[in-house]
Amino acid sequence: MTSGQLEIIAIASLTSAACALVGVFLVLRRMSLVSDAITHSVLLGIVLAFFVTQSTTSPLLLVAAALTGVVTVALVELVTRTRLVREDAAIGLVFPVLFSIGVILVSRYAGSVHLDIDTVLLGELAFAPFDRVHVGGVDLGPAALVTMAVVLAVDVAALTLFWKELKLTTFDPALALSLGLAPTAVTYGLMSLVSLTAVGAFNAVGSILTVALMVAPPAAAYLLSDRLWRVTLLAAAIGVGCAVAGYWLAFVLDASIAGCIAACCGAAFALAWAFAPGRGILAGARRRARQRVDFALAMLAIHLATHEGRPEAEEESRLDRLGAHLRWDEGRIAHVVAAAQRRGLVVEQAGVLALTERGRRLARQAITF
Amino acid sequence: MTTAALEVTDLTVAYGDKPVLWDVDVEVPVGTLTAIVGPNGAGKTTLLRSILGLVKPAAGQALVLGRPYREQRRLVAYVPQRGSVDWDFPTDVRDVVLMGRYGRIGWVRRPGRRDREAADEALRQLGIEHLASRQISQLSGGQQQRVFLARALVQEAELYLMDEPFQGVDATTELAIVELLRALREHGKTIVCVHHDLQTVAEYFDRVVLLNVRTVAAGTVEEVFTEENLRLAYGGRSAAFGRRNGP
Amino acid sequence: MTALLPLDDYTLRVVVLGAATLGVVAGALGTFAVLRRQALVGDAISHAALPGVALAYLLTGSKSSLLLMIGAALTGFAAVLLVTAVVRTTRVKQDAALGIWLSVFFGVGLVLLTWLQRRPDASQAGLDRFLFGQAATLLREDVVTMAAAGALALLVLLALWKELKVLAFDHEFGATLGLRMRLVDVVLVGLLVVAIVIGLQTVGAVLMASMIVAPAAAARQWTDRLGAMTVLAAAFGALAGALGAVASAEVSRLPTGPTIVVVATALVAVSLLAAPRRGLVARAVRSRRARERLGLAQVLADLAQLEQVHEGPARGHHAATVGAMEQADVLPALVELERRGLVERTPDDRWLLTDRGRSEVSRA
Repeated sequence: MTSGQLEIIAIASLTSAACALVGVFLVLRRMSLVSDAITHSVLLGIVLAFFVTQSTTSPLLLVAAALTGVVTVALVELVTRTRLVREDAAIGLVFPVLFSIGVILVSRYAGSVHLDIDTVLLGELAFAPFDRVHVGGVDLGPAALVTMAVVLAVDVAALTLFWKELKLTTFDPALALSLGLAPTAVTYGLMSLVSLTAVGAFNAVGSILTVALMVAPPAAAYLLSDRLWRVTLLAAAIGVGCAVAGYWLAFVLDASIAGCIAACCGAAFALAWAFAPGRGILAGARRRARQRVDFALAMLAIHLATHEGRPEAEEESRLDRLGAHLRWDEGRIAHVVAAAQRRGLVVEQAGVLALTERGRRLARQAITF
Repeated sequence: MTTAALEVTDLTVAYGDKPVLWDVDVEVPVGTLTAIVGPNGAGKTTLLRSILGLVKPAAGQALVLGRPYREQRRLVAYVPQRGSVDWDFPTDVRDVVLMGRYGRIGWVRRPGRRDREAADEALRQLGIEHLASRQISQLSGGQQQRVFLARALVQEAELYLMDEPFQGVDATTELAIVELLRALREHGKTIVCVHHDLQTVAEYFDRVVLLNVRTVAAGTVEEVFTEENLRLAYGGRSAAFGRRNGP
Repeated sequence: MTALLPLDDYTLRVVVLGAATLGVVAGALGTFAVLRRQALVGDAISHAALPGVALAYLLTGSKSSLLLMIGAALTGFAAVLLVTAVVRTTRVKQDAALGIWLSVFFGVGLVLLTWLQRRPDASQAGLDRFLFGQAATLLREDVVTMAAAGALALLVLLALWKELKVLAFDHEFGATLGLRMRLVDVVLVGLLVVAIVIGLQTVGAVLMASMIVAPAAAARQWTDRLGAMTVLAAAFGALAGALGAVASAEVSRLPTGPTIVVVATALVAVSLLAAPRRGLVARAVRSRRARERLGLAQVLADLAQLEQVHEGPARGHHAATVGAMEQADVLPALVELERRGLVERTPDDRWLLTDRGRSEVSRA
């Protein structure tokens, strides 16, 4: 592997981790689509800031772009507050227009802005190693790597310091307010972090794929764990995993790195969705199947117990007549009886079923419950 | 005259142009159990929320033990309706109870040993210590309510504001909650509950505030529950508005 | 984006017709999406349409707009099905499910596009237009296809008008009427997919969603009737589409999709401000009128009534309390009454009747 490749993987990993960390709180606050809004409007911020600073590397660019993210959120709130438009529609109105203005500016001044439409959508991860930061003649590495390291450090520091506040304002903002923990301030703080992270990520993977990094790994982690800190760490780990896997996928397919990372995010979520212990689709199906079997066994035990010791007992308990009495088809009868024998609930003698002591107990429990 | 635990004066709240609460006065003596009752849309929840500053009133103020609520936040615990939070949130019971301490702990600092002890003690008091590390989505309605009450207990408040604590809980939990409220009262605490079951008011509470946008009546249960007052409160909005026909 | 030559009349007519068509269909169907609070479902559909376009081209090698539209519709619809499935089977909420699938589908679409670009036959040039739209590439056949698909969608809309209305208003109530709301919901999603796919070539996958939201949001301000709102939204959509398409065709390096979106959003802004009853300007005028109409005598009577309700010595009341009675800002009236010596302001900012004020009330 060349050092350039290593650097690209490092940038992608830092970006994914940073996005996942702030994304956890967006997902839990049901504000996932705010990431959609912010990543789009950040483009306008970058373009406007470029007109002012005339530089693509100024740290001011980062701050100005992050500010537009916060402005977007405020604008959505402003439109919602007129009560003329609902919140979902407000989001759907505000960010496309900001993004559109950004795209128009980029297209009209393409030569001078040093951004093009491909960058907007895909980022420029593949070229990131060529743009390097030098301090006093020492090569510190690619600019994107330095930027994302700083962004990630800010995210980690903010989450560590304000963990308790973020958790409470997310879970129960009313309680937070009544305890004096200023949920609005915390929310705008979080939005600032999301914006800052989005600006960094925008350079690396483009606008729409930032959404994938902010939402999919946290949602996958949310299906895998029940503790907030574990969800958060897991989300970051899944994000990094997607970044590495996505890079190699892109290498093999010779396709867009950012697109491949997004595809991996989708795959990661799909895996969690299918296989999450206790909560995934498979676990759910297995649980339902088990419940069905348990229910059938109880039915069988109750049926046998009801007629046990009575004149009709033999007729009711004959294997070849059970189907007619319980209204089950042959296959089901065989399956259930086999399961019942395995669990020692019934014994078979000359085609007639008899309950064991354990079977009688099950029937009693099932009825009294 | 001693200071009231809660004194609300001239409280007016409007959503847009519609008054939800209009010129409401409420006075709650220390060491009492007070129910706020009234028909749907009477503004019961809004009353609690505006006392807590969750809703901005157009006019009026709330004094807690003689001083504005903002200065007395520490002394007030709020138990919201269960539906107000997302029970799928990834956390366990002990952690939710600990959240009650966050105001006391202050910004940035972490919960310490004493906070955890307080949480464990509250869990014991509500008989849910065995649920301490259970994920909150796996609780029954009654258990969720007990968690919220435990969370209020660790706030070590003087005044407890509760929004329908008996809503949708099983009979055992309802009894347990009543016992707890009485125990709190024995310790000189004051409890104000939004309540909707008129049948149990006399049994559970000392005092009642009958609300329908305005304060219809307030006082002991016998004083308040007259036919005239109930007709005023439940006989429709216009009755409570007197001269006006409502918005 | 390439600089365009000025277009001749014929091409311009085709472009305008195409953009107007997409505006009509998106506007009319967007009405239901917005009322059903599914504004952002459109966002998911339009982003998820991208891989469909690429796949359709990859599999058939044809650039016929009908084929590409079918591909787009299939993946767009699949994304919505996935969103619904995630919400139904997990604790992940709708916002996150939308965010995941719209970005992941879009990512896959970009992978396919970049991959196509690197193929030696490289004849894909032109699929790019599905990102931000390029009205100038519309051909007569494209517009015919769009119009046919759009007409079909509008016919279904008319046929199921009553069911869709109930769905948008109160779907649980609809279910109790024996209407199959699940099915109607799926039909609505299908119609939205058609509306979005029609606009892909002109507006682009990235921004087509806002053509679902903006015309409907603008129309809502002018009317409270569903029928009128639908017609108006269609008209706004057509207007935004046509104006944006002309502008982008005539001015070089003005991408079509973003231009149409800016026009559509301008229509929303105007509507929010200027609509006759709901608009912000009308609202401000109304509250001003109420204040002006408000008689001084009325305010005085209100204060007297408040005084009666509260027993004990008079202690005055806040302006906002009187304001809630009159649903207006009564402060100017109170100030005027103070000047006439009928009320006084207490140090803690309450208003109290003076003796003169009290006798004035009993006289009246």
